[in-house]
Amino acid sequence: MGNANPNVKLMKDGKRLDGRSSTDIRKIRIEVGILPNAAGSAFIEWGGNKIICGVQGPRECIPKHGADPYKAVVKCRYMMAPFASHDEHGRSGPNRRSNELSKVIREVFESLIITEAFPKTQIDIYIEVLQAEGGTRVAAVTVAAVALSNAGIPMKDMVSAVAVGKADGEVIADLSREEDNFGQSDVPVAFSNRDGNILLLQMDGLMTRGELGKAMDIAQESSKKLYKLQTDALKEYYEKPHGAKKFQL
Amino acid sequence: MSSRKIILPGDRISDKVLRMPNTYIENEMTYAAVVGMSDETGKFISLESCYKPVFEDVLIGIVTDVRHSGYSVDINLPSSAFVSARDMRTPLNAGDVIAAKVVDVDEVGEVSLGDIRKLPRGEIITFPPSKVPRLIGRKSSMLLLIKEHVGGELIVGNNGFVWVSESADIPLVYKAVNLVIEKAHLTGLTDNMQEFLIANKK
Repeated sequence: MGNANPNVKLMKDGKRLDGRSSTDIRKIRIEVGILPNAAGSAFIEWGGNKIICGVQGPRECIPKHGADPYKAVVKCRYMMAPFASHDEHGRSGPNRRSNELSKVIREVFESLIITEAFPKTQIDIYIEVLQAEGGTRVAAVTVAAVALSNAGIPMKDMVSAVAVGKADGEVIADLSREEDNFGQSDVPVAFSNRDGNILLLQMDGLMTRGELGKAMDIAQESSKKLYKLQTDALKEYYEKPHGAKKFQL
Repeated sequence: MSSRKIILPGDRISDKVLRMPNTYIENEMTYAAVVGMSDETGKFISLESCYKPVFEDVLIGIVTDVRHSGYSVDINLPSSAFVSARDMRTPLNAGDVIAAKVVDVDEVGEVSLGDIRKLPRGEIITFPPSKVPRLIGRKSSMLLLIKEHVGGELIVGNNGFVWVSESADIPLVYKAVNLVIEKAHLTGLTDNMQEFLIANKK
């Protein structure tokens, strides 16, 4: 967004650089239960994004003075691998950006997980971005919801997130890296599936009120598609034999 | 059973108020809180869940610390249990394995144990607590079947620790336990297990 330049051509004949229409989302594949040592896990490949999410807990809260006697504490760590992206994006451990994303993702799940069921414990959500191509925070929320279901942590609802925005003067869904970097606006948004609550809403860049309304409609539509993908991934996993650790004997 | 519909968190189970584990109630309707499926009678069966101890559950624990008035016991839960030295006829050492019953669970999830007995040498296998009912089976049918073929003692803790005596064919127990984990949600598990045990018995 820092390089927002109205002269950059991101649309051609109503199509985007990668051939998508303005409301298309990238190709997404979700896999459940890929890490036998975690309580729950999932992997997502969303266009060029590759993200692993592992969930641990509820377990003893450390440090102990951070424990809440009335509910579980949700902790989230978003990390980008040094080789995940161009330039300094994921270069050096925790930074301003990863701290922000950890916080916003944590807040999404704090409002979904039934934390009152597990007093004095913590629930950890670990998100490892292996490859980034724009929209990692929304992909992380989407995959973490699947990993938490896989861990059997009680949640009030499923959540799916998507980024919408404006590039080359058009309101579009699921921004790629180029559209994010050279577009006019980027709005990541997360919806809970059943009651459609907005659990995450950020905005970078500028949009008019009308454009934002249109963007939210597109986001809502896209989140329905994402919920379908999450459901299919979980169904595929749970309808077949699953879950056994392979012991080396 | 594979034709049964998978239910995800947030899916509505009933228009009425039903108090079941792993569900929640909102606007007088019942919703699922974890992944599960519904059986013929419409009852919600969870496929994944976090174990919460209740009165009379059997737990297997490992003594992790000896203190002046008792023992800390790892019971595969967020908080460890404390066993008073007065409740034990013989002293315990770190590493000893005990079987016990849940006497009380307080409001923050701390467990009090009773009926404590020390178990002899053996192997501890971790097992998903949500699948323990399938490992025991109706009237212990699955457990008796496994015991019969592995030739040893087996105690299943509701907390997901399974104790196996030294005399048992431990590799076979591991394989049998894996089979239960993999196919816990499918029908014909007992028949499957019988075939499997006969085929793999030494």
